[in-house]
Amino acid sequence: MKQLALGLALAAMATGTTAAEMGAVDQPIKLAINEWTGQHVTTHVAGEMLKAAGYKVEYVTAGMMNQFQALADGDLDATLEIWSSNVSDEYAKKIGEGTVVEIGDLGLDAKEGIAYPAHVAELCPGLPAWEALKACAGAFATAETLPMGRLVDYPADWGTPGADRMTGLALPFKAVPAGSEGALITELRAATEKKSPLLITFWQPHWAMSAYDVKFVDLPEGNEACFTDPAWGPNPNAVNDCDFAPSRIFKAAWSGFAEKWPAAYEILTAYQLSVEDQQPMMGAIDVDGGKVEDVVAKWMSANEGKWRPVVEAATK
Amino acid sequence: MSALSEAPPAARPQLGPGTWAALVTLLAGALCLIFAPRLPWLTAWPADWVLLDTKSLSAWLEAALRFIRPAARLVSALLAYPMGWANALFLATPWPLFIGIVTAIGWLIGGAAMASLGFLGLVFVLISGYWAEGMSTLALVAVSVPVALLAGLAIGLLANEVPRVKGAVQVLLDVMQTVPTFAYLTPLVLLFGFGPVVGLIASAIYAAPPMARNVILGFERVETEIKEAAIMSGATRFQQLFQVEIPAAGRQIMVGFNQCLMAALSMVIIAAVIGGFNDIGWEVLLTMRKALFGQSLLAGLVIVAFAVVIDRMSGALAFERARHDRRVALAILGVALLATLLVWWRHPDPEAFRLLTPLAEAVDKGLGAFTASQGATLDALKNNAMFYGLLPLRIGLDDSVLPFTWGFQWTAWMSGAWFAVAALAGLALALSGRVTAGIALTIGLGIIETGIAQLPWPFVLIGAGALGHVAGGRRLALLSVVLLLAILVSGLWDRALLSLYLCTASVVACVLVGGALGLASAVSPTVWRVVRPVCDMLQTIPLFVFLIPVLMFFQIGEFSAFLAICAYAVVPMIRYTRHGLVETPPEMVEAATAAGATTWQMLRDVRAPWAAPTILLGLNQTILYAFSMLVIAALIGTTDLGQSIFLALGQADIGLGVSAGAAMAILAFIADRLVQGFARGQREALGL
Repeated sequence: MKQLALGLALAAMATGTTAAEMGAVDQPIKLAINEWTGQHVTTHVAGEMLKAAGYKVEYVTAGMMNQFQALADGDLDATLEIWSSNVSDEYAKKIGEGTVVEIGDLGLDAKEGIAYPAHVAELCPGLPAWEALKACAGAFATAETLPMGRLVDYPADWGTPGADRMTGLALPFKAVPAGSEGALITELRAATEKKSPLLITFWQPHWAMSAYDVKFVDLPEGNEACFTDPAWGPNPNAVNDCDFAPSRIFKAAWSGFAEKWPAAYEILTAYQLSVEDQQPMMGAIDVDGGKVEDVVAKWMSANEGKWRPVVEAATK
Repeated sequence: MSALSEAPPAARPQLGPGTWAALVTLLAGALCLIFAPRLPWLTAWPADWVLLDTKSLSAWLEAALRFIRPAARLVSALLAYPMGWANALFLATPWPLFIGIVTAIGWLIGGAAMASLGFLGLVFVLISGYWAEGMSTLALVAVSVPVALLAGLAIGLLANEVPRVKGAVQVLLDVMQTVPTFAYLTPLVLLFGFGPVVGLIASAIYAAPPMARNVILGFERVETEIKEAAIMSGATRFQQLFQVEIPAAGRQIMVGFNQCLMAALSMVIIAAVIGGFNDIGWEVLLTMRKALFGQSLLAGLVIVAFAVVIDRMSGALAFERARHDRRVALAILGVALLATLLVWWRHPDPEAFRLLTPLAEAVDKGLGAFTASQGATLDALKNNAMFYGLLPLRIGLDDSVLPFTWGFQWTAWMSGAWFAVAALAGLALALSGRVTAGIALTIGLGIIETGIAQLPWPFVLIGAGALGHVAGGRRLALLSVVLLLAILVSGLWDRALLSLYLCTASVVACVLVGGALGLASAVSPTVWRVVRPVCDMLQTIPLFVFLIPVLMFFQIGEFSAFLAICAYAVVPMIRYTRHGLVETPPEMVEAATAAGATTWQMLRDVRAPWAAPTILLGLNQTILYAFSMLVIAALIGTTDLGQSIFLALGQADIGLGVSAGAAMAILAFIADRLVQGFARGQREALGL
């Protein structure tokens, strides 16, 4: 805990934070609320920090994929949890235009991988080693994929990392795109209820990781060469024969933000949130049914040391 | 092939246009079948022949949109005012007062029945715990409906005043209703900026056509004597219109008003995809993302409650002219004010009355338990449907019959035998005098062997052209072929065929199931009493809600998509079949009874032929519903045009979204015109 506070303070110093102008305090800063709970936590913590600094904050619901036009137009002022694994092409376009600016990593350590609910280990002995999948592909086969096994991949618009792994590692699995996050969760839920086999592309932090006891398959640890050099790795004929490239989670703001609210810009740039902090709050909301405002308020008062220094560095 | 040798001798005696069309199609199919192995471009449209580059289309469209953006931004800035007022008004009104006002309005419109409907509907919204979100949704509808009404009225008036543009207006209305909303959300965001105004405009685009159509219909039905009387009394055109014709068409316009409201409400969920507004659609999306069926069903039912209250009240407004005592309405308002003082004063937060959460959780748990206990049965059901139904329809018997599906391998020899049987069966029918039916049977069996997704494109084009010729003459034939060619050169043909396959499978299932349910509802009022509320719910609840149980039972894949489409598209088939069968003129029924017909003879020989045009109209609606559901089925993970549209939305790819949306609209448009053409033929045959 202390380590993180120190990290925050260091990060604040590293970016050369000195007290900045407050700017337009009478105008609300509009923060995007996307479709998932982790992002709600991230955004509400940041929003409370801005309020503590003396700003007005407005939370605005916004579709994750469609928010960048709004950010470019200044209809939204910042969005605080963008996953490099499923960011739309439009983001790069807006960054290129200069209408949206990136304001640093969130510090949330994400992991993506090929995963399965714990009970599947009994249906495919040898898991979590990836080699086990070669022999038990048949156990994962369904009407659409016969004779290959079935891998439920990300929705098509997030890319096809699962399918790439199956090709790279020459595993006899056919990747089926899920269509939506709801469909991924439903697959996990149905497989857990029915005790049926399931192999799925998934990520953490996510509340479903613990709710459905999801485990990752151990894939060969990768490096840059894995994605460019076929000779590298267990499969000499293909790239992508290793674990997922680590995904980055970062923040972005409207290009006029720094000028309009200089101190707030420094706060949001320095803002960090760790998995250890975010995950229990997600659980308190999704599993225990708490309201995001209450859960965040409780965390804010119990962990003042983690965020107060960032606010003070920017304002005092 | 054998199919060729049987056709000419059987067909020679008398060749109607239908028989000719069937023959040409059969010939095209046979030729494609013969040459397909040698000419691969017959089945797969070569990539070099794709003329449309979605990237440059995107750039071009974006430039055009940027040009008109300042004007659009002005519109959205203006609309933001009423939007803000409506939102503030609905959210600030104390909830007991709001319930009281709606109950009082219900009383004024339709007496005790409407008053209690309004009261119960809103109490349900209150105890569901979604009062604030519900009010935001109502605010959106309250602004988008007047916009849609004005636009619809203007379009209708234009078509009435300038008869030359009537044809163009009809096409415009078709486009507005068949291009999936998801396809133009991205351009709308670019044009109008982010926020509820985009949802408002999207729902106005979708809700205006029913109004416009009813306005046009209303004017057409104003009797000429009335119009002439106005002219003779020296009224100006303006006076004729506003003092005579609009009042005379009033009832039909009110029907348009009702349908416009319902259409706007059904778009609420689409508006939520963009966000910017904490409404009930957003709640449905959040719960859906967590796969919480009970909770998303509850949020969805809030929309159903609004829809039922608004539908029945505005419907009553159009047809009832009874007067209800104003004093009762005042008394209701008085009680509401009293309740506001007593209850709201102490509990201003409607959240305190959230009572249904345990029920939602129980429903959710029940779904889980059912999935767990019936897993094996559900899997078997799905596998059988896939192996023996959907897979052969998609990729044909030749590719789907494999040792691990049917237990044996399909061979070229079996294909030959299958075609021979198809030809013989067709020949037998043709020889018994039903030439067209015989040829159609041969074609149908041939399609099952090949699979819809692998049909050669010349065959599809010629088939559509031939059908178009029979249904609507040369113009429709030409139009169908040209529009399909447009899909081909845009490079979306494979996906379009997949859409066609999913729709065909669903529509066939809907016709069988919906026809049977409609028949049962027509015969037995008890059945109808059960079926009717289910139909109401299926039509107004956001369809996302049903994706969860379907996915829980049958997982990601085509079968789930198929079921989700059926759940929505079956409703018009049921309604129209029943309506057609019930509405047979009493003279005919009496005559048949006097002649001693039994119930079933009556149904088969009297009611069914009479109902045929209505049932065909139901089929038409079922097809359009199935197409509109394809985009939502993309959330399950389909690979057709619907998925392209969804992908384009996620990637903000305007070019792909617009071209895939246009391809979808083309398929729906051709299907619509074909069925309407056949329905017209049937009506003429009946002398209507």
